[in-house]
Amino acid sequence: MATNACLVVSLWISCLLATSHATTFSSLQRTIILTASPQAGQVLKAGEDNITLTWSLNTTFPSGTDSYKDVTVELCYAPISQKDRGWRKTVDELAKDKTCQHNIVKKPYTSSNTTFTWTVRKDVPGATYFVRAYALDSAGREVAFGQTTDAHKTANLFEVEAIIGRHVSLDIASACFSAFSILSLLGFFFMDKRKGKPSK
Amino acid sequence: MAGIEGSPGSSMHGVTGREPVHAFSVASPIVPTDTTAKFDLPVDSEHKAKKFKLFSFANPHMRTFHLSWISFFTCFVSTFAAAPLVPIIRDNLNLTKSDIGNVGVASVSGSIFSRLVMGAVCDLLGPRYGCAFLVMLSAPTVFCMSLVSSAGGYVAVRFMIGFSLATFVSCQYWMSTMFNSKIIGTVNGTAAGWGNMGGGATQLIMPVLYDIIKKTGSTPFTAWRIAFFIPGWLHIIMGILVMTLGQDLPDGNRSALQKKGNVAKDQFGKVLWYAVTNYRTWIFALLYGYSMGVELSTDNVIAEYFYDRFDLKLHLAGIIAATFGMANLLARPFGGFASDYSARYFGMRGRLWTLWILQTLGGVFCLLLGRADSLPLAVAFMIIFSIGAQAACGATFGVIPFVSRRSLGIISGLAGAGGNFGSGLTQLLFFSTSKYTTEEGLEYMGIMIICCTLPVMLVHFPQWGSMFLPPNNKASEEHYYTSEYTEEEVQKGMHHNSLKFAENSRSERGNRISSAPTPPNATPNYV
Repeated sequence: MATNACLVVSLWISCLLATSHATTFSSLQRTIILTASPQAGQVLKAGEDNITLTWSLNTTFPSGTDSYKDVTVELCYAPISQKDRGWRKTVDELAKDKTCQHNIVKKPYTSSNTTFTWTVRKDVPGATYFVRAYALDSAGREVAFGQTTDAHKTANLFEVEAIIGRHVSLDIASACFSAFSILSLLGFFFMDKRKGKPSK
Repeated sequence: MAGIEGSPGSSMHGVTGREPVHAFSVASPIVPTDTTAKFDLPVDSEHKAKKFKLFSFANPHMRTFHLSWISFFTCFVSTFAAAPLVPIIRDNLNLTKSDIGNVGVASVSGSIFSRLVMGAVCDLLGPRYGCAFLVMLSAPTVFCMSLVSSAGGYVAVRFMIGFSLATFVSCQYWMSTMFNSKIIGTVNGTAAGWGNMGGGATQLIMPVLYDIIKKTGSTPFTAWRIAFFIPGWLHIIMGILVMTLGQDLPDGNRSALQKKGNVAKDQFGKVLWYAVTNYRTWIFALLYGYSMGVELSTDNVIAEYFYDRFDLKLHLAGIIAATFGMANLLARPFGGFASDYSARYFGMRGRLWTLWILQTLGGVFCLLLGRADSLPLAVAFMIIFSIGAQAACGATFGVIPFVSRRSLGIISGLAGAGGNFGSGLTQLLFFSTSKYTTEEGLEYMGIMIICCTLPVMLVHFPQWGSMFLPPNNKASEEHYYTSEYTEEEVQKGMHHNSLKFAENSRSERGNRISSAPTPPNATPNYV
């Protein structure tokens, strides 16, 4: 039993090491300049409003960018929306990091300016966000990043106002079925009482 | 309550140690069959079934069994329906960890009170109405889930849905009107275990429903709301079935009971006093809080745990979480069986050791579950934890019938309430703040289980001993059970049922007894 457990654990560890070498966020360089259209503090409506993103390489960095193959842009939670919510925790090891849970777009990397307009999806929860872009190598590993906010994630944050998910039709259906439940209960109860009386 | 023959938990089955353990029938010389009655199963003179035919739906006995356990199952499904969907709900309602934890506490707290009230309702209106009323009146609360738009609303709705867990009481009570007291233990244990399975089944059902509804085009934040309609409809369907197909008594409905003269009822005040002043009541209430209670707590957190920690898809996390609750199918009856089996050789001391071993095992594996870093290990530890905790539930109710004869009903009720209280407490302490991660919470819960199971060592019966102390040879079962009556009451002869029970409970001495007493006399004692 113990040896089985050891075997399973060591297999799992070696798998993990083989794939990611535990890429950490702190090892990435901020070589990408990313700007987003929302102003600081702006509130966007999910399902309706757009975000326009523009990214390009920061030319002040020495080249080493041959490894960049794709760029993936993500919507990430600001610290205030991570508070008391362990499922959105920021962890340095990228494989375990849960800061960025909503993918916006993934495009092949070009060194020139790229623009993309995205309509905020309906399943995006109401929270405070910033946008981050990762440059990926051919193996899909993150090698560099860029983001719309500063290193402390306090500047340039915007909010998304989510849909509630309620609909008038659902409300009406709820009311109807609830009424049906209560009325049929009372109906059966009184029917029973009336049937019971003669037998007494 | 406890004085009435056939009240929940009053089973004499297995008491002499000579009857086949967990048999599904009572042989004729022990309880005579009423041959004039035309029922599908052999019945006694009250027309209660002497046999338990699991796969039959015959009216009225087996039909009642199935209506009853399925209603209880449905209430478990709706009480824990939100648990596997929490990853979606928390984003929709912008919940924090404290919100989620508080909701978990609220979902199990309501039934502490509703279970007590349901006892009175069953006495007044009968278990059929008790069950139907509760199931149908809680249907609107389930439908209200789709209207929730804030943390406050979510707490309120889950609190109200939690009231429906009182169907446990109506289920057990109804069984006792339909089944002979000699097999009622097995029947009630099976019904309780299968009802509890609802907490597991819901972890499978709800994510699947959610996926299907999403595929038809709904956004996630609407799909989970629609998914709640299904448990709501189940409530309505079961309520209608109970009203139309169910009947209060083997012979018909409740009006018959009104006509019959009744066994002298005991005084509620006295019964309560003897329950409350027996220290064992409180120890078992605590223990049940750490077997049943932790089972309910785990039902609330386990799907979310697997989703977050191991990055599983929602329905996969649901499947794993479901195996936790579904183990009740066999684990709870197994606990009762283990208790009975150990009693054959070691009497009551065996029952206490069995309970301690099973519950501590559950605690150890809960701790290991929190420590497990890999998915296969976590699943394995979770399964063993579930078997330990649920078997301990069964074993607890293997001992409780012996704690008191007079106050059995209330003690069972208090133990049940202790279960829900324990659940609320562990969720409040370990799963509702960001102070502990969920895995730390599970670790600490495991440690708390181990610690809170230790008091079983203090349970001592003068005539049977305790885990570490031998019995007092001068003490007798008769003395223990008659000490619950005052001199006056003894003179009035109110203690006769307890005397009979005392005689039969001598089997709890284990193999030490040289001659076992004869089975209870053939004539039923409720004429």
